[in-house]
Amino acid sequence: MQESDLIVRRIKDGTVIDHIDQGRGLRVLEALEIDGREGNVITIALNVPSGKSKKKDIIKVENRYLEDDDTNKLAVIAPNSTVNIIKNYKLVEKRRVSLPNEIERIFRCSNPDCVTNSSEHIESTMDVIDKSGLVLKCRYCSRILDVNKLKYY
Amino acid sequence: MIQSMNEFFQKDIISVRDFDKQKLESIFDATNKIIKLKPNDRREIGRGKTLGYLFYEPSTRTRLSFEAAIASIGGTSIGISNISSSSTQKGESLADTVRIMSIYSDVLVLRHPLDGSSRFAAEISEKSVINGGSGTEEHPTQAIQDLFTIKKEKNKIDGLKIGIVGDLKYGRTVYSLLSALSYYDVDVHLISPESLKIRTDSTYEIKKRFSFTESTDLEEYIDDLDVVYVTRIQKERFPDEEEYIKVKGSYVIGLDITKKMKDDAIILHPLPRLDEISAEVDNTKQAKYFKQAEYGMYTRAALLGLILNEKGF
Repeated sequence: MQESDLIVRRIKDGTVIDHIDQGRGLRVLEALEIDGREGNVITIALNVPSGKSKKKDIIKVENRYLEDDDTNKLAVIAPNSTVNIIKNYKLVEKRRVSLPNEIERIFRCSNPDCVTNSSEHIESTMDVIDKSGLVLKCRYCSRILDVNKLKYY
Repeated sequence: MIQSMNEFFQKDIISVRDFDKQKLESIFDATNKIIKLKPNDRREIGRGKTLGYLFYEPSTRTRLSFEAAIASIGGTSIGISNISSSSTQKGESLADTVRIMSIYSDVLVLRHPLDGSSRFAAEISEKSVINGGSGTEEHPTQAIQDLFTIKKEKNKIDGLKIGIVGDLKYGRTVYSLLSALSYYDVDVHLISPESLKIRTDSTYEIKKRFSFTESTDLEEYIDDLDVVYVTRIQKERFPDEEEYIKVKGSYVIGLDITKKMKDDAIILHPLPRLDEISAEVDNTKQAKYFKQAEYGMYTRAALLGLILNEKGF
């Protein structure tokens, strides 16, 4: 048994986000608004050895199950991550995150002059125009967005 | 399969990216038809129709061109071009203004300083929305006019060498023009000051379709170009006036430049121009920017005619 397995196993109910691209763990916390205020036990492991010469980040959150919006955020920030839903110490669901064709409402367009950043009643929509290269385009202003600079609603 | 006779009927015109070569060519065909029609016959195309315009930014040419276009096909126009006199000054949203205008008119033209404003308006409006210029993003009817001018004056578009000069960062016409040219087999050279190079976050999809060169030297290609498209440095979009002063007057097309150009090359400009083309160039045979403005009215009349008539005209 590997050391990383031990880190992800010991949880009764909740979610383990595994295989987060190294260095993205803290950004995932920010995106999913996992800040510990709810009082749940949260464990964060950064730079965990994973396979030959590779490292990953892991987050486990007790008593919270990730929703679809969360999974879409993960797909943008940490496209290689997996989500493990744990109930009564058992893995009941394991899912790979995958990019949808469009992402609504999660991120703000990074173009300050985009109509979605104005006072108009409108929420951002981004089209995923290249899933493998992680290329997002704002449906309104048509700018290609830098996924590392996206801000959340 | 039953095919619609006119693919533009009641459609929005938001971005050249929504077009393809066939769509552009069908607008050019309709424009040629408009030009050939007798005025009385032309006025039947839009009889009883109303164009509503909402101009949130100053505009002379585009607004006049649309007004002239709808009048030429027998329609009328209503609109707001002086934003300080409108209820938007009282805080009315763009969405509400568009909603109201779409009740009063058959087709809308919107010019707005925000990128993406026309796409948003099209979602709100019950009637077709034409983008009359959205921020630094797009100006699709200008691109249609530009390509039509090239086609009329050079008898073709494919195979041409085209230079685009000036403010390529903030000039929205450039992004629409590049998108439109990317449907053709052309060589494009972009010439701009280093600080006004084309935005890479707006050319990702264009670059998939064709490639272009970038340079700061106007004279590098000038003797080889068939079309020299000159743009104004967009002073109003500079965050810092000092940056504007640094690049102001970077390129001036004077007689010294036109003499280096091919005899049958053409000079275009979306207008208004400041000092980037000297007045002395106006009388050369290469100067086609006023002809370009005339074609703008015809291309817009054709587009309006297609949007307003199910079976075309």
